[in-house]
Amino acid sequence: MTGIVDQNYYEILEISPDAALQEIERAYRVNRSTYQPSGLATYSVFSDDENAHILERIEEAYTVLSDARARREYDARLRRAGVMLAADATVKTPALAPAATHADSSTSKPASKPESLELDDGYDPEDGVFEGSVLRRIRLSLGLELDEISAQTKIDGGFLISLETNCYRDLPAEVYVRGYLKQYARCLRLDPERVVDSYLTRMREDRSAE
Amino acid sequence: MRLTGTPSWLSARRDTSSSRGVQRGGPRPLPQVWAFGGGKGGIGKTFLAANLGATVALAGRRVVLADLDLGGGNLHTCLGVRTGSRVNLLDYLDHRVEELEKVAIETAIPGMRLILGALSHPGAAETTRGQRIEMMRQIRALQADVVILDLSAGTGRQTLDFFLAASVRFMVTTPEPTAIENMYQFLRAAYYRRLAHALSGSPVREVLRAAMDQRNERGIRTPGDLLSEVEKIDSQEAARFKRVISEMRPRLIVNQVRDSDEVKLGFSLRGVCRKHLGVDLDYVGYVNFDDSVWRSVKDRQLLVQAFPQSDGAMYIRRIVKKLLEEGR
Repeated sequence: MTGIVDQNYYEILEISPDAALQEIERAYRVNRSTYQPSGLATYSVFSDDENAHILERIEEAYTVLSDARARREYDARLRRAGVMLAADATVKTPALAPAATHADSSTSKPASKPESLELDDGYDPEDGVFEGSVLRRIRLSLGLELDEISAQTKIDGGFLISLETNCYRDLPAEVYVRGYLKQYARCLRLDPERVVDSYLTRMREDRSAE
Repeated sequence: MRLTGTPSWLSARRDTSSSRGVQRGGPRPLPQVWAFGGGKGGIGKTFLAANLGATVALAGRRVVLADLDLGGGNLHTCLGVRTGSRVNLLDYLDHRVEELEKVAIETAIPGMRLILGALSHPGAAETTRGQRIEMMRQIRALQADVVILDLSAGTGRQTLDFFLAASVRFMVTTPEPTAIENMYQFLRAAYYRRLAHALSGSPVREVLRAAMDQRNERGIRTPGDLLSEVEKIDSQEAARFKRVISEMRPRLIVNQVRDSDEVKLGFSLRGVCRKHLGVDLDYVGYVNFDDSVWRSVKDRQLLVQAFPQSDGAMYIRRIVKKLLEEGR
C-alpha cells in the first residue's frame, strides 16, 4: 500500500492504465462521492483536512486523465519513472494510450490492477424473464444511475423510468421500445436480443389484455 | 413454502452418499466455516447467518448453524425454534456433552442443524483461548459441508478468535455512520490480533504493541502503516505480514440498503480499505431492506422461505451462489 501522495492517478481513481474515457468518468464520480465531506465511508477514517487533500488529488487525476493530450504526457512521465502501464502489453485505445517502447519493461514495476466498480456475480434473472424491475435491479447492482444511462443512450429519463416500472402505456410504439431496450441492455452488459425478446413478450401480453 | 422460479443451482438434489459425505479411499473433506462479524449490534448478522445458512441447505449442502453469541444469542428465534430445555452450547462448555456434534439439533429445513447458544446463563459463558481452539477443532469435525458461526457484536477476544479461525469471514455493515465506524474498529482489531499471533520477532511485536494504541507516537493508524514500520525492521517478518494480511480477505455485505447510493457504499468502503488501510476487502453483495424483511423477522421466519420471491431473498441467493461457486 502506498500513501495518497505516492499513488499515481490511475491508482487514485482505481482504474486500469488503459481505461477508456467512460470508465475514467465513472471512477471519478464514484471516488468523488466516496470522499465527499463527511461521506459515510470516510467520516470515521480521515480528518476534514486529510479528506480535502484526497479530494484535491482526485480532481487532479481526473483533470489530467480526461484530457487526451495531458494523459499522453502523464503516461510518458510514468514510463520514465519505471511504471509499466497495461497499455504496454495491449493497446486498447490507441488515441489515448501510445504504443509501448518495451525498453523499460524488464525493470519497471507494473501499475496495480484495480478491481471493477461493479458486483460481478451474474445478472441473469432467476426465472429468465427480463421485466422492468429485473432491469432496475441489474442497473443498481452495477452502481449505475438512470441519468448515466440517459446521458449515454440519449433516451429520455422518463422513458427509462417507464421501462423499469413496466408502465407500458407511457411507452411509445413497439419499434421505438425495441431500440431503447437494445441500448439499455448494452449499458447493462446484457445480451440485447434476449432482453428485447423477453421484455416485449411480456409487454405484448399486457397490452393485448387491456 | 415452495420456491417458484428456482434457479438450477438451488434445486440441487441432496447428495448424502458420496461426493460431500464420507468418501471412499480418502479423508472426509473439512467443512467450510463461514463467520459473521461486524462490530456493531443490530446490523443483521444473525438475520444473514440464518438466511444464508438456509439458502446453502436448500442448495443441497449439509449445514450447521452455530450460535456463538455467548452474550445473548438469538439465532434460534430467527428460525422460529423454541428452546425449552434442549441441549445447547453451555452443555458443551460445562462438559455435560463432550462432543459438539451431539449439540447440533435438527431444524425444519432439511439438511440444516442448529447449535443453540449458551441460553441458560447468557453472558456468563466465557471461554479460554484453549477452549476456543478445541471448539474450532470440533467445529471443523462436524458432519457438515458448511458451518456458519453467528458471532457477538463488539471486538472481544472470543468474537475475534472465532472470526479469524473461519475460512470465510463476512463483515456486515449497514449504511449508517455508527455501523461503519464499528466496522473499521472491528477490522483493525481483527488484523492486529491475527498479526499478534503470527509475528514472532520481538522488535516487531514491540511495534505491534505500540500500534494497538491509536494515538501512538509512531503515527501508525492502519495495518498498512504498520506494515511500513515492520518493513523497516525485518524484511522476513514483513513478508510474513503481507501473507497473513492477504489471506484475511474479509467479505463485505452491506445490509439494509435502500437506494443506489447505498449499493455504491460497498465500493467506497472497499476503495478506502484498499487504498488507505492496506486491507483487501471483497465486496460480495448487499441485501436491501423492505417490508418482507421486516415481516419475516417479526414473524420469526426465514426470509428465503417465507418470501422467496422478495428482492432480499434474491440478493441472499446471489451471495450464496458466488461463495459456493468459489469454494468448488
